[in-house]
Amino acid sequence: MATRTVGLSSSPLRSLTSSSSHPPPTRITPTLSFASRLKPALALPLLSATPRRSARPRSPRVSAALKNLSETVPVSVPADSGELVRRFPSASGVYAVHDGEGGLQFVGISRNIAASIAGHRRSVPELCCSVKVGVVDEPDRAALTQAWKSWMEEHMTATGKVPPGNESGNTTWIRQPPKKKPDLRLTPGRHMQLTVPLEELIDQLVKENKVVAFIKGSRSAPMCGFSQRVIGILESEGVDYESVDVLDEEYNCGLRETLKKYTNWPTFPQVFVDGELVGGCDILSSMFEKGELSSLFKK
Amino acid sequence: MLPVRSHSRRVLASLRVRMASRASSAMLSRAGRIRSKLQSSLEASVLDIEDVSHQHAGHAAVVESGAAETHFNVKIVSSKFEGKSLVSRHRLVYDALADELRSGLHALSIVAKTPQEVAPK
Repeated sequence: MATRTVGLSSSPLRSLTSSSSHPPPTRITPTLSFASRLKPALALPLLSATPRRSARPRSPRVSAALKNLSETVPVSVPADSGELVRRFPSASGVYAVHDGEGGLQFVGISRNIAASIAGHRRSVPELCCSVKVGVVDEPDRAALTQAWKSWMEEHMTATGKVPPGNESGNTTWIRQPPKKKPDLRLTPGRHMQLTVPLEELIDQLVKENKVVAFIKGSRSAPMCGFSQRVIGILESEGVDYESVDVLDEEYNCGLRETLKKYTNWPTFPQVFVDGELVGGCDILSSMFEKGELSSLFKK
Repeated sequence: MLPVRSHSRRVLASLRVRMASRASSAMLSRAGRIRSKLQSSLEASVLDIEDVSHQHAGHAAVVESGAAETHFNVKIVSSKFEGKSLVSRHRLVYDALADELRSGLHALSIVAKTPQEVAPK
């Protein structure tokens, strides 16, 4: 999905006053998801009481005030993503996600509310049962922040609590980059006597794992432009792959020379699928551009 | 030997510069050796060789080896690639340049095509 998330600094909350005994948290980070295709600032009518089933209203309207959080009627989140996109507006605004018990979990702002909700639904379906939506007219950053602040203030005044998802340090609702796996190590260390020849370790590794990339440097910080490009391609294919750092002299000592002989291939990176050498950066790039990689990974 | 139809102007220019700077050296530059080796073993109908070592000047492995000509872009069109996978085509190129790879050639970017694949449709 083509949204990116920007964490707001603590500024929106600084002026927030809470009548509760709880001191306001020092930092609350709502997510700001900007749609890649920004729509012109269409003034949309606020969500009505009935779930939005039809196409999104197109008629521009003079700016209407944002409804209170309590006045806004929650819309249930359907499991089907097509239905979800029909039910929620792809416009900018504030939204409040509620769990199965009607408890407020998170208040966020978004440049594409439907896309943001779809994302939350995918990552935490159990917490996304219904959502209240307030479309913001002329949604510049200040207006969006103001809308978020007013809903947050209202909720905190009423309950004395910050929605759990908005608490400092809670990252449930912020789009996270996928957790990077550690690189695989072939040996327990340079000074340990190997009981199995390195060739066999390589052989086992590439046959036991669907996709293996032997690269220079780690997958999180490749040390060579060709390795970096290969990692980029594998990441963008969304394929689950293992990586081995051939420059790791401590845990992969001697791997470079042994692997060159094993594959009869003199350079790195080297990418294996199902135990077979697919090639280096040139071949991966060329297959990626021709769209041949996804079928290779699926087999 | 088949005639080489297309020369990369950049290569020729860079070769000339190198030749001039090493006027006393009788040895062919690596680019020159790559050219003759690929030409004779693969009977290339198109052979473009571009020295891009300068783009990798800071590369640790390059600095260590002390070699000056380490990275090349190679484009080869040869009928010997027909019916061969990309991996086998690249292996043919690497095999022809095994000595160079042992003596400081660090990386090749290879485009390996058959005459049919580059023929205008």
